[in-house]
Amino acid sequence: MTGDTGKAQEAFQDTVREAAVRAARDEPPPDRLWFFRDARWRCLGVSEQDIQAEPGMMEEVEISPVAPKQIERLEPDQLAVWISAAPEPQRTALALFYLDEFSLREMLALLEVKAGELSDLISSGRRQFQAWLDATTPYEGE
Amino acid sequence: MSLFQIRSNHSSLAQCAPITEKPGTDRAMRVAIQHARRDKKGLPFAQQQAFDGAIAKLVRAIAVDAQVAEWFAKESLVPLVKRRWKKILLNPVVLAIALALAVIGGIFALRVHQHLRDFPGADKARRLLSVATSIRSVMLDPLQTNAGTLSDLFFMKHRLEHYDIPPEFADFRTLGSRVFDDDAVHSVAQIWVVEKRMQFFLFPAEKNPKDGTVKDFSDWRFVEFEGWTGAVRQRNGVCFMAAMRGSEKDFAPYLEKKKQ
Repeated sequence: MTGDTGKAQEAFQDTVREAAVRAARDEPPPDRLWFFRDARWRCLGVSEQDIQAEPGMMEEVEISPVAPKQIERLEPDQLAVWISAAPEPQRTALALFYLDEFSLREMLALLEVKAGELSDLISSGRRQFQAWLDATTPYEGE
Repeated sequence: MSLFQIRSNHSSLAQCAPITEKPGTDRAMRVAIQHARRDKKGLPFAQQQAFDGAIAKLVRAIAVDAQVAEWFAKESLVPLVKRRWKKILLNPVVLAIALALAVIGGIFALRVHQHLRDFPGADKARRLLSVATSIRSVMLDPLQTNAGTLSDLFFMKHRLEHYDIPPEFADFRTLGSRVFDDDAVHSVAQIWVVEKRMQFFLFPAEKNPKDGTVKDFSDWRFVEFEGWTGAVRQRNGVCFMAAMRGSEKDFAPYLEKKKQ
């Protein structure tokens, strides 16, 4: 989400602290999604000063059958930076989707979007990532 | 919803198909995945799944702070709220349901209570109470005597046997009387007395439909209808009901007097 471990950790600790404060006030978080929702807004807050991508500015190509091999050659941090550079709410949509921890219902609740919108965000994210892959890690065969 | 819309929804859902199979996936999502697997047009679903799987694998390789990782694994750093009884009870939906259940329970309890207190002929008695609420004294034949003496009149004039007034009410002065047939109750004798504008009814007791017998009761039973109360006793196959506006308590002085 932030593309920076330090910032992410700071946001996470703030969320946990906020939850503890609420619990002390006898108003503990109502559900587990509260943590992710709170952490999301904190991440967006701390990365506000960074350069923000604008929607629709990235090139898109259909995903390639060799994409998995291209992805294998990437460093995890490269992916983290790419996702953190995506515009909102696509950034959160991709982060939540590829964490593979949430059901569709939970993602929709966290993002406050409709299923069709989430589907568009993810599918265009795939095509943009493929375009970026082709540009940075072209497949040259085995 | 048209076929085109359904296909479009399936294709849209399949775009968000979970990367790994999870228990409890929505039925709509399962159907969408099945359709996507069978679909020959467009991007093969397997290719999309392979792409997503490769990215998810890379995401799992992103270095995560130990504390965050632990929290993701356990999700127990801060206890989640356990819904408190007070909050649950104050929820308007719960309140509305509780109120509705209380009303239904109240009506049910009232019905059971009425049923437990009911006796053979209670329905007839209630019907005659409704007559008592609507009738005026001028509709009866004027007759000024002691109520107790009317049993002879009913027998001599109308051939109504055992239409006797109980001793508790036999000394009351009458204003008028009549004998009539109602749709549901036949051969009803009605007496209007001066005392508290009370009305007496005498009518045939309810017979057991199986063997045609009548089970008498010597204690007083009570029925209520629209603010009126009837004290009923049954002897020799004839019911006597004293009816007056008020409650069961208002009969107490008359019924206790005789016991003493």
